This record gives sequence, C-alpha cells and structure tokens, in this order.
Amino acid sequence: MTTSGRLAMLALADARFPGGGHVHSGGLEEATHRGVVTRPEELREFLFGRLHGTGELAAVFAAAATHSAAGGAGRQYWLRFDAELDARTPSPAQRDASRAQGRGTARAGRVAWPSSALDELLAATARPHHATVLGVLLGGSGNGTPRDAAAVAAYLALSGSASAAVRLLGLDPFAANAAVTELGPELDRVAERAADTVGDDPADLPAPSAPALDLLAEAHQRHHREEVRLFAS
Amino acid sequence: MRAEHDHGHNHPVNFDPTVAEPDPFEPASAGDRPLRIGLGGPVGSGKTALTAALCRTLGAEIELGVVTNDIYTTEDADFLIKAGVLDADRIEAVQTGACPHTAIRDDITANLDAVERLQQRHPGVRLVLVESGGDNLTAVFSRGLADAQVFVVDVAGGDKVPRKGGPGVTTADLLVINKIDLAERVGADMEVMLSDAHRMRGELPVIAQSLTDTPRAPEVAAWVRQRLAAGAPAR
Amino acid sequence: MKACARLSVECDSRGDSVVRELRSASPLTLMPRPAARTGGKHAVVHLVGSMTAPLGGDELDLRIRVGAGARLLLRGIAATLALPGHHPGGSRSSVHVEVDDGGTLEYLPEHTVLTRRAEHRAELRVELGARARMRCREILVLGRSGEVPGSLRTSTHVTRQGTPLLRQTLDPGDARRRASAGHLASARVVANEPMMWGSDPPAPVSGDWWSLVPLAAGGSVASAVAADAVTARRRLAEAVRGHPDGTELAKEHW
Repeated sequence: MTTSGRLAMLALADARFPGGGHVHSGGLEEATHRGVVTRPEELREFLFGRLHGTGELAAVFAAAATHSAAGGAGRQYWLRFDAELDARTPSPAQRDASRAQGRGTARAGRVAWPSSALDELLAATARPHHATVLGVLLGGSGNGTPRDAAAVAAYLALSGSASAAVRLLGLDPFAANAAVTELGPELDRVAERAADTVGDDPADLPAPSAPALDLLAEAHQRHHREEVRLFAS
Repeated sequence: MRAEHDHGHNHPVNFDPTVAEPDPFEPASAGDRPLRIGLGGPVGSGKTALTAALCRTLGAEIELGVVTNDIYTTEDADFLIKAGVLDADRIEAVQTGACPHTAIRDDITANLDAVERLQQRHPGVRLVLVESGGDNLTAVFSRGLADAQVFVVDVAGGDKVPRKGGPGVTTADLLVINKIDLAERVGADMEVMLSDAHRMRGELPVIAQSLTDTPRAPEVAAWVRQRLAAGAPAR
Repeated sequence: MKACARLSVECDSRGDSVVRELRSASPLTLMPRPAARTGGKHAVVHLVGSMTAPLGGDELDLRIRVGAGARLLLRGIAATLALPGHHPGGSRSSVHVEVDDGGTLEYLPEHTVLTRRAEHRAELRVELGARARMRCREILVLGRSGEVPGSLRTSTHVTRQGTPLLRQTLDPGDARRRASAGHLASARVVANEPMMWGSDPPAPVSGDWWSLVPLAAGGSVASAVAADAVTARRRLAEAVRGHPDGTELAKEHW
C-alpha cells in the first residue's frame, strides 16, 4: 500500500472527516431514551451487537466495493450492487441513514480522491450507500485494500455511536473511547471475514441482520415525529 | 475540502451519453443556485425573529427558503409557520447531533442536504436563509455552506459582547446588534457597543436595530438585497 | 436423514386451484384439505411433522410451486423443535418456493424452537413472478423457557423476476450478542413476516419492539421481538394489521 493509501484510510475513519457522520447515532439515541444504555459497559455491549449486525454488513459491502472499483466495475454493476444492499437493509430509517452518509462521504471524497470508479458509481445512483462509497473511494483511487475498507466501515459503525453516547449521556470520553478499542480483535475478525467474500457475486454476499437494532432505528424516526431527537439516526 | 468554491481543479467529464441523471454534485453555472446566507449568534439574540422579519420583507420580492439548526428541531420552524411568514414546505430542519456548531462549520453535510431538499421541492428558490442553532461567540459558518453570514448579538447579552470579539463578531459579513430598544433597561451603553464593534471589525458593516421599532428589519433586508444583486458565487 | 418433499398447485380450466403434485417425504408430511371444504378457489395444505425432526444430521428440503393465478395456503400444525442429534454437522432445512405470475402463497408454519446444543441451518428462497403475492411467517424461539439455545443460522431470500427484495440472515450467536441492545436486546423470540402483497404501506409503522416497513424494491416486512412467544405473536399481528390489506391478512381468512 502506498503512503497516500494509508492516509486515505485514516482520513475516512477520522471523526473530523466532513461526510455527515456526526449527526448519526446509529440507534444509540433511541437506546439511551429506553434506558438500555446508560454506562460505558452498556455502551461497549451495545457496540458489540452493532458490530456483528450492521457493522458486519457494512464491512462486507465496503470490501466488495473496493474490489469491484479496483476492477473497473461499471454503472450496471453498481445498480445491482445497490439493489443487493437495499434488500439487506429492510428498515427505511437505516436505508436513509446509510444513503445520507453515503452522499455526504461522496461529496467530500470526490474533492479528495476523484476517480472514474466514483463517477461510475454516482452515475448509477446519486445517493449511494455509505459502505459502497467507502469501498469505491479506497478501491477506485488505488488507495486501499478490501480489508482496509472493511475495517473502516466496521469502525465507523462503532465510533459514531460512541461519540453520540458522550454527547447524549455525558459519558467519560476516556471510557467511551476504551469501549470502542476493546472491540479491536472482534473488528479484525469481522474485517477479515468480509475480505474473504469479495469475489462473490453481489447476490451471494452475506446478509447479516440485527432485528432489535432495526426496530430501534424505526422507533427513533417515530419518536422524532412525536417529540424530538437530536440525531438523524 | 477548501472552504471557497472556486476550487482549483476540474471535475472529470463523463462522456457516457446514457447517463441521464444530472451530475449530483455539479451545480449549474454561476448564479444558478440560490444565495445562501447564514444567520448565527448566541442563544436568544433574536436570530429566529430576524429570520421571520426577513421572510416577511423579502418574501414578496423573491422566492426563499429557510434551513433551521435549532437544537430542538421543530421549535424555530414552528415559530416561522405560526408567524405566517413562510409555508411549512419552505422550511427544512436539520438534526445536528447535539453539536450545532459542527453542523454549520466543520461538517456541513446535513445542511447542504437540507438546502438540496429545498431546491428539489422549489426549483425556483433564489435565497436560502440558514439559521444556526444558538451557540457561543466562536461559532461561524463554513464558507462552503454560507455565501455570506450575519452574526446576531443583542444588547441584553451585555455591552461587552462586541469587545470580547471571537470569529463571529470579527469576521461575519454583517454584525447585527439586536433589541436596542432594551439598551436603557439593561444598562447597556450603545455607544460603547457600536464603537467596540467597529473597532473589532474594521471596514465590515454593523447594523443596530430593534425589531420592536422596525419589525421588517429594513436595513438588514437592504443588505441582503445587495448580496442578491451581486449574485451567488460560482461553485 | 435426507428428505425432499414437493408440492405444486395450479389453476385448472375453471379457475380452481388444484394440487398437481404432492409428494410427502417423512418427516415432511403434506396433508391437503379436500377441495369440497375450501371451495376450490384456493388450495389448503397442512404441513405435519411426522417424526421428531430436525435432528443433527438431517437435511430436509421442501419445494413448492404455485402456478399462474393459483392460490395456496400452506399451514403448519405444530411447532418444530430443532434438536441435537447423534450425527455431526447439525440439521439443515430448506424451503424453495416459486410463485408464478398472479399466483398467491401464504406460508404460515408454526414456530421453530431452538433447543440446547442444536445446530440448525434454515433457508427460505422465494422467487416471485410478476404480480405474484406471498407472505411467509417465521417465528424463532431461542431456547425453551430458561434454556440456553444452540446455534442457528436462518436466511431468507425473496426475489421478484430476478430483482432482490429481501435478503437477511439471522445468526443470534452467543449469549453476548443476544443480550446486546445493538443486536437482539435479550429477546428470546424473533418474528418476521415478509409480505409481498400487492400494495405496500406508504410509510413505516412501528410500536414497542415491532415494525412494519416498506422494502426498497417493493414488498414489506412485519417484524417483532419479545421475551416470549405470545408477546411476539401479538406484536407481529399488530405490525401485520398496519398493512394496507392488514384486515385481510390479520384474519388468516382461509
């Protein structure tokens, strides 16, 4: 990997990356309202479950997108890829959150790492899923491997919720940060498994799910209409 | 990302004739998108009241929309709707993840998305007022979001506010000192406030006003008209 | 034990739905209801588990075809108990469904209970033709009351003329994953019902641990989680009632 490649991966995972991630709590805000996450240990357990459903799905598709972008995938492929990820995201709230972050990441990424692969993706859909954009930004610019993209996607599935926990609950930021980093070995395994499936047809990619998190995502939207939620997801 | 939009590179051209969708990130040529004016300032300084006044005054002249970043999202939107100055579908509320300054400065994604939604619903919109959530004196709009920005303070916040400076007071394209009708009652020295403001801001304009005395904010509206005449910068 | 059962229903010249092929394979026993009792416009078949199954080592395969314009209700009689067996490799069950243009399938099995040390893999694949309708219910009970469940991986794939509508795999994993609010939130029962049923809910409907959501490419899914099966069924029924055809769907009218 080139030096700039490592930087691309680091920049995409950085909480300061201006791709719109900071307004998404990934179900954490709803979990705090139900009182199921109030302490750092509970945050860590929330993140553990999030990593193995939503995080793993994002990792799988980010890895596959990296591989396909590097291989010069065209518009028709990305349409199919997009439909396959949609089919694995039954919750409209989660689809919206993913596409909002995808569009934001593409907007910022296009300035930093323009590539013909990204143009092909955006020609297929103006609001791609977040995981897809992460993969295309790394693969299309030759700046990262599928495993890198998987790790970034899985990490972002955790860091956004952890940051939201600090803002919503006033958790000790050191404890919240440690709740994320304790999942290091788990995250490595998720990224490795995701990298193993990159050659598969999009229809055959894994489809991990997390039923309770889907329901929290929908409840978040419902409660936002009834009262107020500070985060978009 | 560079703040200014005259960024120094060319976007790759797509030669595929089958690509029917317009390029999602390529706004039309200069002046073809609405002018975006940011309104920032501390909590309670009168941002929403000023927004409402501008809607009332300019609404008849030009098609406009409002993006609000209020911490309790629907509060400001409700105010504008109830005030009858704007239809509900011309207002977009942004969820800022409990960080209003991040949403207007460090990561403007959610606000740009809101502006886009307004444009999709109302392709003719020429002016978008982006109202920040109430924040502190250091909060300013990114130039990637606001073409021009107004910083709103009020006399009730204390006459030391302009002297304290901060990027809002010193760099905003327009500083508005609100509620001057209350100056006497809160013991604020208008002369001190104005001279401090001018000293901190050099050539940049300052408008002192009271929406009680001039509910249509004529001076600020005139400043917005000038900005509109100058046109939105190319992206 | 390996078993492959087949069921095919077609529309005859009078427009009645008739069973064209019915091949039971123990433990998958298919019992058609006489047409005289169903009125003929739709076929009703009961799926009866005729032995204790699935056990470790079992591979059960059920293939269902609903011809153009035909209607089939396939209903389970009793809960399925996934048990560990004497053979390695766990148990597998797969259900493959094709519903042709304008056909209708309601597949309503009773719940599957995952017992201690069971290793069960289940797969449901549904391919729909144009204007075909289907609903498939899945209720998973992760261990009997107080029981630590074995391992499970259950996948659902629904496509319409090649377009994917829904693909999801549930792997409740270990106790830690099941307890996580970011995964199963300590639910013991997970209920799901994809409904590709003509019209879809215009917007999501949700309540306390249940939701009915429109899918991106058409169709919808009702889902619920709960600590016990009764609550899960109640929540799932509430979600189903949110469907534009909810009254019809909630009635289980046949």
